[in-house]
Order: sequence, then C-alpha cells, then structure tokens
Amino acid sequence: MFKLLQQVGDYAKEAAQAAKFIGQGLSVTFDHMKRRPVTVQYPYEKLIPSERYRGRIHFEFDKCISCEVCVRVCPINLPVVDWEFDKAAKKKKLNHYSIDFGVCIFCGNCVEYCPTNCLSMTEEYELAAYDRHQLNYDSVALGRLPYKVTQDPMVTPLREFAYLPKGVDDPHDLPAGAQRAGRRPEEIVEEMSAKN
Amino acid sequence: MNLSEGVQIVSFVVLAALTLCAALGVVLLEEIVYSAFLLGAVFIGISGLFILLNADFVAAAQILIYVGAVNVLILFAIMLVNKREPFAPSRNLWIRRSATAVVCLGIFALLGTMVIATPWAIAPSPGPVDTVLKIGIHFFSDYLLPFELASVLLLMAMVGAIILARRDFIPEVTIPGATSEPLALPERPRELPSERVGS
Amino acid sequence: MSAGIDLKGSFIDSLSDLGLPPGAATALWIPLPITLMILSATVGLLVTVWLERKVSAAAQQRIGPEYAGPLGVLQPVADGLKLVFKESITPAKTDPWLFTLGPILVVIPVFLSFLIVPFGQNLAITDLNVGIFLWISLSSIAPIGLLMSGYASNNKYSLLGGLRAAAQSISYEIPLALSVLAVVMMSNSLSTIDIVEQQAGYGILGWNVWRQPVGFIIFWIAALAECERLPFDLPEAEEELVAGYQTEYSGMKFGLFYIGSYVNLVLSALIVAIIYLGGWESPLPVGSLANWLGVSETSSWLQVIAASLGIVMTVLKAYLLVFIAVLLRWTVPRVRIDQLLNLGWKFLLPVSLVNLLLTAALKLAFPFAFGG
Repeated sequence: MFKLLQQVGDYAKEAAQAAKFIGQGLSVTFDHMKRRPVTVQYPYEKLIPSERYRGRIHFEFDKCISCEVCVRVCPINLPVVDWEFDKAAKKKKLNHYSIDFGVCIFCGNCVEYCPTNCLSMTEEYELAAYDRHQLNYDSVALGRLPYKVTQDPMVTPLREFAYLPKGVDDPHDLPAGAQRAGRRPEEIVEEMSAKN
Repeated sequence: MNLSEGVQIVSFVVLAALTLCAALGVVLLEEIVYSAFLLGAVFIGISGLFILLNADFVAAAQILIYVGAVNVLILFAIMLVNKREPFAPSRNLWIRRSATAVVCLGIFALLGTMVIATPWAIAPSPGPVDTVLKIGIHFFSDYLLPFELASVLLLMAMVGAIILARRDFIPEVTIPGATSEPLALPERPRELPSERVGS
Repeated sequence: MSAGIDLKGSFIDSLSDLGLPPGAATALWIPLPITLMILSATVGLLVTVWLERKVSAAAQQRIGPEYAGPLGVLQPVADGLKLVFKESITPAKTDPWLFTLGPILVVIPVFLSFLIVPFGQNLAITDLNVGIFLWISLSSIAPIGLLMSGYASNNKYSLLGGLRAAAQSISYEIPLALSVLAVVMMSNSLSTIDIVEQQAGYGILGWNVWRQPVGFIIFWIAALAECERLPFDLPEAEEELVAGYQTEYSGMKFGLFYIGSYVNLVLSALIVAIIYLGGWESPLPVGSLANWLGVSETSSWLQVIAASLGIVMTVLKAYLLVFIAVLLRWTVPRVRIDQLLNLGWKFLLPVSLVNLLLTAALKLAFPFAFGG
C-alpha cells in the first residue's frame, strides 16, 4: 500500500515537473512575442556584406601569370588554368581561366595565395541559375564587378547587427552619422600613433 | 399538412432510402472496405431515424458508439490485415446465392407480416422532452439489472483485452526440444585492451 | 435571468405583419441562422488562419503576411483562392469515390457541431437537449473520413497517417468525454446553454475553471489532440509520414482538410470557452452591474448591449484559447506515437476518472457550490 502511494506521489511529482517545464517554455515563447522582427525584406532591402565577406571570386585576366598556385592550394583543384608557353616572349600566356562556383566552397585559399593579387573576393552572393553549368564562370564572367548594395537605387541597404550603434537593434532609419559600437580600425591606428 | 410534417416525411423517405441502399450495399458489394464504409452510412441513417422519433440521446449515442467506435474498429481490422486477393471463382456459386436470397426474403416476409399484423400502441403525445433524465431514471430503477449486467460484461471484456495486450500475464510456452541459444551476429571476437596488455 | 432578445419571434412577427402566413415566415427564417452559422464559422476560420500566421511570425521574430491587405488580413483569402484554382489531382491508382468522400466527411461534422455553440441566451441555432453530447458524437465521425482518405490514397504514408489519426482520435475522445461528464454532472444538463447559465451570476468567480481545474487542463489537452494541433500532430508528422493522410491531396480537397482542422480548432476553443470559461458571461456580471446602476433588466437597449457583449465575450475567450494553442505549437515538441498513446490511456484517462469521482463526491458534500 505504501509502495503504491509512493508510486502515485512520484508520478504526480513528475507530472507537476512536466507542467512546470511546459510553463517555462511558454514563457520563453511569450517573451519572444515582444521582440521586434528581424526580417529583412529581401529583394527590396539587403544587408550590407561585411568587409571580409567571401562571395563570388573576382579575377583580373591581365595580372595573372598562370603560376597555378590557386590550383594547388584549392582543396579540390578547382580553378582551370589554360595556358601555353609563348616562345617569343619566353613567358606563359594565359588563354582561359575558369572557376565552377557550383563546386567552389568559397574557402578563399586561392585569393590568399595568389602572388599577383589577381584573385579577390567580392560581396556577390546571388548565384542562382537555372542550370548548374551556368555557374561555371569563365574569365570574362569572373572579371565582372558586382553591383554594390549601397549604390543600388532599387535596394535599401541595411547594416548587419554588428555594425549597428550601441543599444540599437533595428537597422531601419538610422541617423546619418551613426557609428557602430566600439572603435573603428582607423581610430585604433590613430590611438596607437598618438601613444608612440 | 403543415411545414414540419412535410419536412418530417421528406426526411423519413430520404433516411429510409439511405439506410436501405447502404444496407444492400454492405451485403452485395464485393470489396470489403466499401461494405465497411457503407455500414457507417447505415448507422448514420438509423441515427437519423432516431432523431425523427424524438430520441435525440439515442441518436447521438448511436453515432458515438456505432459509427465512432464499432465501425472504426471494423475499418481498423480491415485495413491492418488488408491483402488484396482476388477471390477464386467457386463453382455452383448461384446455388449459394439463391439459397441466401430465399432465406433473406423469407425473413423479410416474416418480419413484414409481423410489423403489419401487430397492433402497435402509438403514443398520442410527442414523448418526453427531457429524454436524458428519463433514460437515467429508467436505468437506475426498473432496468437496473440489465444495465448492471451490461456493465459487468463490458468490464470483463476490458479485463480480457488488457490481459491479451499485456503478454507478461500469459505464461510463455517453451518448446522442449528447442535449444535457446542467444542470437549473435557473426562478428570478429573483440580484443579487449586489458587482454592485450596481459599477453 | 431575463429572457433576452427573441430574434426568431420578432422576425416571424414582423413578416406576419407584412401579410405573410406564419408558416411561410417560419420557412423564411429557417435558412437564416444556418447561413449565418456557416458564414461565421468561415470568417472564424479565416481569422484563425491569419492569427496563426501572425502569432507564429511574432514568436519567431518575423513579420508574417503583410502585403495582402492591411497587416496581411487578406492572406487567408488569398490562400483559399489559390487552393480553389489549383488542379484537383486524383492519382492514378486511387479509389476515386473514397478519395473524394474522405475530406468531405472530415469537414461536415465539424460544421454541424456549430449547431450547439451558443453566443448568448437566445443566440444559438438550437438549444438541444443533448447539446454537448452531440458534439462528442459528431466529432467521432471524423476518424472515418480520415481512414477513408488514408485508405483511398493507395499510399503507405497515407494509410499509416489515417490509422494514426483514427487511433489518436479514439483514444483522446474518452478523457474528453469524461471531463465533459464532470461538468455536466455539476450543471445537471447536457445543454450548452444550461451549462453556461449554471456558471452565471458571480462573474469570473463563478466559472467552471475554478471548480474543474483538472478537467479544464485534461479537456484542453484532449481537444488539442483531437484537432491534431502541434504537440500531437503526428498523423501528419512530416519527418515520418510526409504529410500523413493528406499526402496525395491537392487543390480544394486538400483545402477541405485545412478548413476542417482550423474550424475544429475554433470549435474546440469555443466549447472550452463555453463549458469552462463561462461562455457569454463577462468577467463582471452585467446583470448585477445594471441593477447597481439602477437600470431595469428589461430595458431594450441594455438587452442589446448585453447580447453584443455576450458575443464579443465568447469570441474573445475562444480566440484567447486559439492564441494559447498557437503559442503551444511553437513551444512544445511533437510527441512520439507511443508517448501520445501512453499520455492518453495511462495519464489522462485515470486522472479524468479520478476527477469525475471527486466531482461526484464534492457534489454530494457541497451541493451549493457544485450544483446540487
């Protein structure tokens, strides 16, 4: 009899605990209801990509010396460098260069190791295509510069959360000269030079 | 004939037709799932007839128990063991069918004459309004014994169902000849690190 | 209690004054409340869909629909129109009759159950003797439709989903009925109007929640399970069953399932509001307030105000419950099928039985407070 009572008591305790946890969960959900939406109305508003954003790779055909370092550092040897030796000039002559962005993982190793800085990261991320072969960019396509979000008249550029002033969490309608929280790199440089 | 009588007659005709057609379908259709679903239609038609007889509680109980429980259980059983097998055409099927038809028509004729011949005592008043109260009073006074018997029967059925569902109450039958070797997957005997250290 | 407004009587009287025979006037009256009820159920459905999307969005810090109409209120209409114009596909190896009949059977009982929902003293289609019992029995028809559509789709996911839905529906019907029974025992009547009237007179203190807290919770859990709302939506659990019995459906047949589930949610919320939260009674008793202010209970303008306040109160309580259901949807994770059946049979059923026994004992002990 006592055992049964204890069982019933334990069961009731467990039920009460479950109810308590559901109540806690509900209070969290209810708390979220009070927060502002973080929605970015995408085609009309876009976030400004950060400085070190690793988007589609830009390639400058004239700077390339066909050294194939980008191929070697690439995890999957992705860039295709098509060159031939120009005997008259005793130099490699680049014919074609292409990167397939359907396969690229945007690790940025090629950009890092390129000796002539002919590869660079852009802030373009809208790479949708109807066919995956359309993502295989040749040197002409790689040479195009993307449209900047801040200069697009159709788009309201929005700052990312880390670039908002302190205490502000809504990127809309910021005052003109609002700076992000903390010191900017140039301010740090100024301080350092003042100290020395 | 005023409005309510007209509505009553039309609904009676519709409900009777529904019940009869569905019942015929239950018996005559080849596919058993159709029969089961049509059985639900029969129950709903009968509950409609109960409503026409001012027996609202019985009508609702009819739907709850027969449609909601019995018919759903039948459907469950059919769907869980559903194997679509074509029936093997048996010879002399017509003899069976005609025999069934004769028996059914005989029963129908018998019941029909009984219905026509019996002097039914038709109540002049439309019947009690508070049907639930009346049913309750009858249950606990003059129909107490059948009511309690039915509840005991249901209790027994429930206990039986629980025993069937909880297999640990049924002693397991062990076959004397069979050796009980634990099931083991064919795998390489694992080398324990302690053994390796020892050797 | 005053008789309130007699809409039917005044409608028939005014038509008779115009020279119509009373039978014809009654015949004219009959379709009116029916259409009104279907319309209000549909509007309630649209509002619920909108509310669900907006509240879900708020709980996830999104905006939700906002382009169709102000604040996106026309979004459910747009959804519905889209479903109407979509092609209604009947897959090749299905059973076309059962495939069409299934969703219809799911929807009709839900709409029929609106028969017993009262919005005021005389603002119900029927004051049925069996009232709340009719709702319970009608809601037991829906599993047949689910089984039918699950079977007719000729798809394993559909069949499993249909079987699960039926099993869930049957097992949660019992605690639901038992907790209703405890309330019925206190009000001595199955009629919804009597149940509300029994809670009247003391404002918020007289509501059944205080007398039946356990029953209220059991009823709400079971009602959520009956509506297949999120903690219990495993008949259409997409990780396991694609979409359950709805897998093969498209167009308006799918729309019927959609309508059925949302109207069922509204209906359950309304019924909870009626049997536990005092129905059309406002938190402060209007009648005694009017007496205190010295206004006669029979004055016509007070009756109009009381009636409209009653409708507002009922709808408000129901939508508060819908809101809680939506919040629960984003709070509680989905249970497994064995957990669901364990909860139904091993927890809710015994607890509701104990609740019923306790109610009976309290009714004998304190006949004043528990409806002697």
